[in-house]
Amino acid sequence: MASATHKARLAALSEAMRRENADVLLVIGNNWHADYLRYATDFGIQEGQGIALVRLDGATTLLLDDPAECERARTEASHCDVQYAPQLVKEARTQIVRAGNRNVAASPMHLLPYGLVNAGNDVRYVDGAPVIEKLLMTKMEVELDCIRRASKLADEGYIIFRDAARPGRKDYELIAEIETFFRAHGIAENFMIIGVGGQEVRGMAPPTGKTLKQGDLVTTELSPCIDGYYAQVCRTLAVGQASETQIKAFSVYQEAMAAGIATVRAGVTAADVARAENDVFRKYGLGQYTTSEYTRVRGHGMGLFLDQKPQILEDVDIPLVPGMTMIVHPNTYHPDAGYMVLGDALVVGESGHELLCSLPRDLFSVPVQ
Amino acid sequence: MRRGLLTWDENELPVSVLEARVAKLRAAMARDGLDGLVAYTNIAKPAAVSWISGFTPYWSEGLLYVPREGDIAFATALSKRVAEWISTVMPKGEIIPTPQPGIAIGKKIAASGARRIGMPDIEDVPARQAKDLVAAAPDITLVDATETFNSVRAGIDDAERALVRRAAEIAAAAMQQLDPAARTAQDLIAPCEGFARSAAAEEIFLSCVPDLRKDARFQRTDTAGALGETFALRISLAYKAGWVRVTKSFAREAKLAEKFAAAERSFSALALPLCDPAAQIAAALKGSCAKMKTWTIEQPRGSCPLVPVAGSIVSESSLQAAAPCTVTIECDLAGARWIAARPLL
Repeated sequence: MASATHKARLAALSEAMRRENADVLLVIGNNWHADYLRYATDFGIQEGQGIALVRLDGATTLLLDDPAECERARTEASHCDVQYAPQLVKEARTQIVRAGNRNVAASPMHLLPYGLVNAGNDVRYVDGAPVIEKLLMTKMEVELDCIRRASKLADEGYIIFRDAARPGRKDYELIAEIETFFRAHGIAENFMIIGVGGQEVRGMAPPTGKTLKQGDLVTTELSPCIDGYYAQVCRTLAVGQASETQIKAFSVYQEAMAAGIATVRAGVTAADVARAENDVFRKYGLGQYTTSEYTRVRGHGMGLFLDQKPQILEDVDIPLVPGMTMIVHPNTYHPDAGYMVLGDALVVGESGHELLCSLPRDLFSVPVQ
Repeated sequence: MRRGLLTWDENELPVSVLEARVAKLRAAMARDGLDGLVAYTNIAKPAAVSWISGFTPYWSEGLLYVPREGDIAFATALSKRVAEWISTVMPKGEIIPTPQPGIAIGKKIAASGARRIGMPDIEDVPARQAKDLVAAAPDITLVDATETFNSVRAGIDDAERALVRRAAEIAAAAMQQLDPAARTAQDLIAPCEGFARSAAAEEIFLSCVPDLRKDARFQRTDTAGALGETFALRISLAYKAGWVRVTKSFAREAKLAEKFAAAERSFSALALPLCDPAAQIAAALKGSCAKMKTWTIEQPRGSCPLVPVAGSIVSESSLQAAAPCTVTIECDLAGARWIAARPLL
């Protein structure tokens, strides 16, 4: 049975397919890029890969190469014609040719398999981005509701994370606590990376077994997902009392995030938001730390994919429109304190934004006993 | 995404083991007339690259190049700063952070003069990566190297066996954390997840059949709700790229619970090698009243960590009889549905 969210998505997808003259849309997904497949089928893939063929009337075939995932899809995406396809690409190819499809819109193009493109038949795959990308970026109210709920759980989750952080604990033990909390609250997926240490830390990564000690900064991006929709929060905590240096350094991030968020409204571009954040760093002589040498992006869109368009960078001129959801995070390295993060999620509105995060924008500290 | 412990330990995966794997691979490449082999990785298809190099991505994608001679090279779309982390978990080889891994590897191949390049699971590899590869090395011929790779992968070394054993230990211990009195899927799953991650699992996927009387299909914590009188929990778990599955069925009613336990004891007698798996499973279950309906055996193949290689749904068996595997069975047990899975090591 399709959820209300999925019915709304499918209607929007059919309309976009008509507009773009696409008879069939092929989407591919896996646990890394689950977003396109989720939008088209409502199935949250966990293992293996999947390909869905969506027709104009909404009829959808979902091919999965993992038998257990296939069985799960028959329960969780029963509105689709779910088929087990151990030879996934071959089966998709066969079905496309059998249906007489010649022009297939495909998304995301960067995952389109070699075995489809080099099949030696006369099927032509065109980029399906015009059909689906705008839909992924700009959310309907039913989608925003999922992100609001995910954001609330991100805030609650961060408190669990903060309280778990104490000297002597391993980084992966903190993640174990937060994942336990999320599973208990029905959250099946979460994106998170972590950084532990001092001035030497230049970014975040998966846990590597570091043990927390007094004086460390612990950074994390926490990103729970409800019905496929991610919301993110970024915070930094000090193990023990934060030093004056750490507090002073963090004040730049607080000012930069506030400046970036204050810019967000319909009509401005992603570049405008990035520029507002980076100008604060430049004001303090820290402009070099806003470059790709030290940081990836100054925020990004979020939805069915955690890191979706628009990336908040000074060379991205995508205009913000109402219904976009994003995180503004001036995360980067600071020469005096090491890598620090701070980020709040929000929804773009006509004349401003709706802030989703309710956590204080503090450099948290946890007591050392 | 992977968010469990991702680290490399020389004691668990010595450099000499990785060198021996690459040497075996190179011998097979020479046999099959390949000048080089390029393996693709992402979190859904990580197994080939992790077997060759020890590296598993937590996100994004990359290409690993194994030339007939010289150092291996890994090009990844992960950022330059993340490359510093990769160097701590991938002990051998050059790391190239780039938005276009295909171009970077193609340039290396072109510079080396290699002509015939194999790719395992080439059908599944994103076409863009292959296209970039050929664009940067226009003189190469790209061929399917699935059989080349799998012929080498068939032999399991002691290091891999130990990692799979550790995965099996964590999964079994995680199953012990479960509260059989739990009333919801969330209460059932959460403690197992927490335990497994605290025990340094790299990844864990948990799902349950909330009511075995109604269905045999597993669901995740976001869709499964109240538990019935009989239910099952499935743990799919990785420890440093070694994957296992464990499934256990539970009954609240004491007499049925004892039958479930007896069937489980019988199933635990199953052991490698599996020369005639269906008959061996049936023989193991003989002492219980379980009647097998379906069975599946999974092993790593190519870039897939676990894939069905024999069983009710597999048309042609490719089971390696003596290699570690996961066996899953669904049985009728005195009118009740009973599902179990365990790794054989």
